[in-house]
Amino acid sequence: MRIVIDILVAAGLVFALAGTKGILKMPDAFCRMQASTCITTLGTLGVILGGALYAFFVMGSVGTGVKVLVIGLLIITINPVGAHAIAKGAYKYGVRPDKDMEIDDYGRDFNE
Amino acid sequence: MPKTKLPAVLSTFCLCFGFWVLLTWKFTAQELIAGAAVSLAAALFASPFFIHENAFWLFNPARLGALFAYVFVFLGELVKANLDVARRCFAGCKDVNPGIVKVPVDLKSDYAEAMLANSITLTPGTITMDIAEQDGKTYYYVHWIDVSETDREKAGEIIKGRLENAVRRIWP
Amino acid sequence: MIELLIFAAVYAFLAVLNLYRLAKGPTAADRMVAGDSMDILVCCAMVLYSLYSGRGIYLDIAVICAMLGIVDTMLVGRYLEKRRWLEK
Repeated sequence: MRIVIDILVAAGLVFALAGTKGILKMPDAFCRMQASTCITTLGTLGVILGGALYAFFVMGSVGTGVKVLVIGLLIITINPVGAHAIAKGAYKYGVRPDKDMEIDDYGRDFNE
Repeated sequence: MPKTKLPAVLSTFCLCFGFWVLLTWKFTAQELIAGAAVSLAAALFASPFFIHENAFWLFNPARLGALFAYVFVFLGELVKANLDVARRCFAGCKDVNPGIVKVPVDLKSDYAEAMLANSITLTPGTITMDIAEQDGKTYYYVHWIDVSETDREKAGEIIKGRLENAVRRIWP
Repeated sequence: MIELLIFAAVYAFLAVLNLYRLAKGPTAADRMVAGDSMDILVCCAMVLYSLYSGRGIYLDIAVICAMLGIVDTMLVGRYLEKRRWLEK
């Protein structure tokens, strides 16, 4: 059981590392948002599943495990709302990508 | 201020009380009564803001089964997209090709639209930026990290994938 | 299990790395994205440390951290959306 927990948390860590590298290195703001979604989803999901398994089977405490699962549910259901708001706000404020985009329907429809 | 209705208050109350029980995880009478009082107050205050349709529509076995199937479809898409974005990040963050695509969506219910938009946002590589309605049809503006298809219908097929069918099975 | 402590330390270190983008980021949106992901990484580290030390109080703090992290993101997002209109 401990090996399964270690593998789950380490997999989450790999995705969190990828997201952090994306945030530090990506060329513009919107691509950084995409990289940060990587942290939000699998980076936390690994920790949450591993932590819940640890609480259920190693600690033997059901309340703790359920609370860990509730934290995961909260993060995963609430976070896209924030991402949505910040993307729309950044575009309306005037943040534009560095190089020309392949296709830009939003600018065509709302920005003339 | 919209009028408060009984089913809306009741469904919000059930949600709040469920969260209370999950977070405290003690089943003494004192805890449960305090939780019920707090949830009732929260439901009376908050139900006009976020229940606009019949929320008990979800509670029959077919829809719960569809929800369960949706979770697995969504997890599959999530892992695939995560691997793709993680590969791009580790490969030096240079092979990105961003763009914003207008994607037509064919769903009726408000909950279904919100659910699909949140699922698209939660999948790495795509972020829903805005929802617009034109001529009775709904469009999403989706920021996409790798535009491989500029035609809007085909791009929609690639972005939404199997998610839209799975959502339509829950909220027809 | 000592591994949980090590994993928590690595998550906290990743959060510190995000601090660079938070300080440098050219626009407010960059700063907000870095702050949001920092919040989530700190939340993960808190869950792992709570399981390692066996103290439940850190889990409660993690719940509040996950909830309040969204509020400030949405606040700044709405502000940026309306600000150009206010300046005209």
